[in-house]
Amino acid sequence: MDYIPATEKDIKEMLNIVGVTSINDLVRDFIPAFTGKMNLPQPKSELELVRHMRGLAHTNKILRCFVGAGAYNHYIPSAVSHLLARGDLFTGYTPYQAEISQGTLQAIYEFQSFICLLTGMDVANASLYEGASALAEAALLSCSYTGRDRIFVKERLHPQYLEVLQTYCEGAELTLTDRIDNDTACVIAQNPDFYGNVENLHYLAEQAHRVGALFTTCIVEPTSLAILEPPGKYGADIVAGEAQSFGIPLSFGGPYLGFIAVKDFLLKKLPGRICGMTTDSRGNRGFVLTFQAREQHIRRERATSNITTNQALMALAATIYLALMGRSGLTTVAKLSYARAHLLNRKLEKAGFRNLNSKPFYNEFVVKAPRSAEELASRLLKKGIVGGVNLGEDNFLICCTEMNSIQDIDDFVSAVAGD
Amino acid sequence: MKIIFEYEEEKNTGHLQKEEEEDVCIELPDDISRKELLPIPNVNEVDVVRHYTNLSRMNFGVDIGFYPLGSCTMKYNPKVNEDAARAEGFSNLHPLSPEVCTQGSLKLMWELKEYLKDITGMDDFTLQPSAGAQGELLGVMMAKAYFRHKGEKRTKAIIPDSAHGTNPATASMCKLETITIPSDPRGNIDIRRYRESLGPEVALVMLTNPNTLGLFDENTIEISDLAHKNGILMYCDGANMNALLGITRPGDQGFDMIHLNLHKTFSTPHGGGGPGAGVLGVKSFLSEYLPVPQVVKRDSGYSLDYDCKKSVGRVRSFYGNFGMHVRAYSYIHSWGTKIRKVSEHAILNANYLQALLKDTFDLAYDRRCAHEFVLSSRRFGEKSALNIAKRLMDYGFHPPTIYFPLIVPEALMIEPTETESKETLDRFVLALKKITSELKEDPEMVKQSPLSTPVGRLDEVAAARRPNLRWRPSQRTNQSGSE
Ligand SMILES: Cc1ncc(COP(=O)(O)O)c(C=O)c1O
Repeated sequence: MDYIPATEKDIKEMLNIVGVTSINDLVRDFIPAFTGKMNLPQPKSELELVRHMRGLAHTNKILRCFVGAGAYNHYIPSAVSHLLARGDLFTGYTPYQAEISQGTLQAIYEFQSFICLLTGMDVANASLYEGASALAEAALLSCSYTGRDRIFVKERLHPQYLEVLQTYCEGAELTLTDRIDNDTACVIAQNPDFYGNVENLHYLAEQAHRVGALFTTCIVEPTSLAILEPPGKYGADIVAGEAQSFGIPLSFGGPYLGFIAVKDFLLKKLPGRICGMTTDSRGNRGFVLTFQAREQHIRRERATSNITTNQALMALAATIYLALMGRSGLTTVAKLSYARAHLLNRKLEKAGFRNLNSKPFYNEFVVKAPRSAEELASRLLKKGIVGGVNLGEDNFLICCTEMNSIQDIDDFVSAVAGD
Repeated sequence: MKIIFEYEEEKNTGHLQKEEEEDVCIELPDDISRKELLPIPNVNEVDVVRHYTNLSRMNFGVDIGFYPLGSCTMKYNPKVNEDAARAEGFSNLHPLSPEVCTQGSLKLMWELKEYLKDITGMDDFTLQPSAGAQGELLGVMMAKAYFRHKGEKRTKAIIPDSAHGTNPATASMCKLETITIPSDPRGNIDIRRYRESLGPEVALVMLTNPNTLGLFDENTIEISDLAHKNGILMYCDGANMNALLGITRPGDQGFDMIHLNLHKTFSTPHGGGGPGAGVLGVKSFLSEYLPVPQVVKRDSGYSLDYDCKKSVGRVRSFYGNFGMHVRAYSYIHSWGTKIRKVSEHAILNANYLQALLKDTFDLAYDRRCAHEFVLSSRRFGEKSALNIAKRLMDYGFHPPTIYFPLIVPEALMIEPTETESKETLDRFVLALKKITSELKEDPEMVKQSPLSTPVGRLDEVAAARRPNLRWRPSQRTNQSGSE
């Protein structure tokens, strides 16, 4: 395929206007000239391309999924992808020119609103890359606000999130600490945590605030917010995390949807784009990017973050998803996810598994298997099930959503029960 | 337009099986259960579909018209790549699936890295960074790790004044101090000032090539040689790779690292501002600092390798914006060995536009350009770039990037890309010339423009002074919500 419309005649005329005889004349200064041969595939027609890509996609195996751990298999209503694919939304970019970007801008405003309403926070931005780096941005924000450089992380944060935090801290010359004291910039806790435990973190927020630190709740499975107390209610200053659960496909790990929401007093420290409501020259309601003096294109080395391109399309998907599901739909998702996980847990306990959750759990839980995790995994695989994450020592992290039917659950149990 | 929260409460449609079908009993303690009604509205599907369809009609994208937004490479996003990314085998694959289930994805990622190595002349790649800015961040982190292992403490980054804001913003996120080097009268980095700023405290030079003026730095090789003599790493901001495909390779120009914006050069769509993919390529001596995991090819198949002691760790969960990798991979397969043509036509289109417009405006630097060029509208007075941009919308065009790079007054930064026809470019030139005469004949009208858009110019001052950044339930009563 060749997406270049210029004809031979056009090319000749254009070269003529430019005042050269060949395109090569235009790139003579680009040195050193590449004269080798590139090891690229042969050009393909669209038909050939479709065949090739289908073949690759078929090499993957999509099985019944009981894995969560930061990526959740929820149902996506059909209308989400149809609306998302509209070229006017799909093929734009950052809405710098508000007059012809009201669709994007209003959708961002709605996204920010949804995030605030779900988390109980005051303001949210237009999106960050994904959950783990969103959490790292929360840590950077806290250090910048408090002028301190230590970060406390409660146990059972998603291990990849912890790794990202470590990497960002190393780069930004900050330290992870195991004490909450007067040098602590922020206290971070995931809720539900990596094992699925849910907790009222009020006590931790108080502990943070007593020493002048900010309290950050990390949300990785946001459908939980439909039935759980929002972090804004138990003292969070920042909520950061992942919103892939809201209408975004698993897609082997990305693109997903990072978000960050804060209490009002932290607004000027937020990273990334923020959209606000205003009026236009004709007196109509309209939307613009605002508080841009925080951002790299204005502030350069003094910006709150370097983020530029974000995950706007994914934020749009989440907005459409939430609008379609509504209060009833989202609550159903949460209740079913909860119910299926608890059903599977009960059945597994009967089959000799031991639940290791120390607190009530939402839709993920950890069990100790009566046999090795490897054997478990391979038995499940034979039944076409990806059964969970092996945490070592025969411990298994299992997740259910509304997508796991009762039949799936029975198949899971029969695969692992008995000899 | 209403906002979604202003719809009257409606009957919600059944996207899922009804919960009554099952005995759902939530037994969560009171102190962790939501007490208030979930404050999001129930709107029926027809209204939701109309709502977002109507929003989309107030938007502009490449599918609607010419989008010469400089530095952003707003080329056509081939539809066939969307089908590829949406294929069930890719889109429904959980990232923690066992490797027997993920061979197709891993193969794609491995091959994509191979292609990118070849295209850039680098030795290794990571696909992990989510966008260009995160690629930069990772690059600077790796540079720091590299010097730490060598036992050197270097605290500064050299960045030209034409650079994109992410470059200095990234440096300071990693606690490096920026040394800003001015540009010379030909738009190159001022080589004398550059030489003076070299020293043992400098960690890296961050260079965009061609730079944001759309000019290939004529001293690139000398710049790299000088950096290397001082033990400094050369970082290439590869946002402008659309000018170089098959023509010259950053790896051969002396760069040690480069990030690419797959969402620019390799045509992955990023409506509304993202997603991107900011893959990072490095020379072999930096390989061991790359993030984990790395995709490797073994006799038994493709696999994810977490075993790398010097790795800086991770900059995000999982493996990157995989959906973007699929599209970029598919795009590369459509072009294959003929990929040089992309850049040739991007450059031809830009030079053609520049030639037609350089007398109407002031050319920031009077040289042949690469894939984009920067005009100054200063002869039309203050705010003229803004006014021209706004008026262009009435002619059906997306405006160019304005007021960037910062070193050009009243800057109009124009990047046509290779996917635009001569006819489109001619219409654009005509519109710009028409607007310049309007500026003389009816300047008030131009200042009022755009006149044909869903909304007029927006009050940005009010937006910042009385921030309304989210809908609140209390707003329901006092909003008109007329449609
Ligand atoms: C020259 C240049 N450098 C860096 C970036 C940052 O890349 P991204 O927006 O993908 O983070 C951009 C684009 O925004 C750019 O144009």
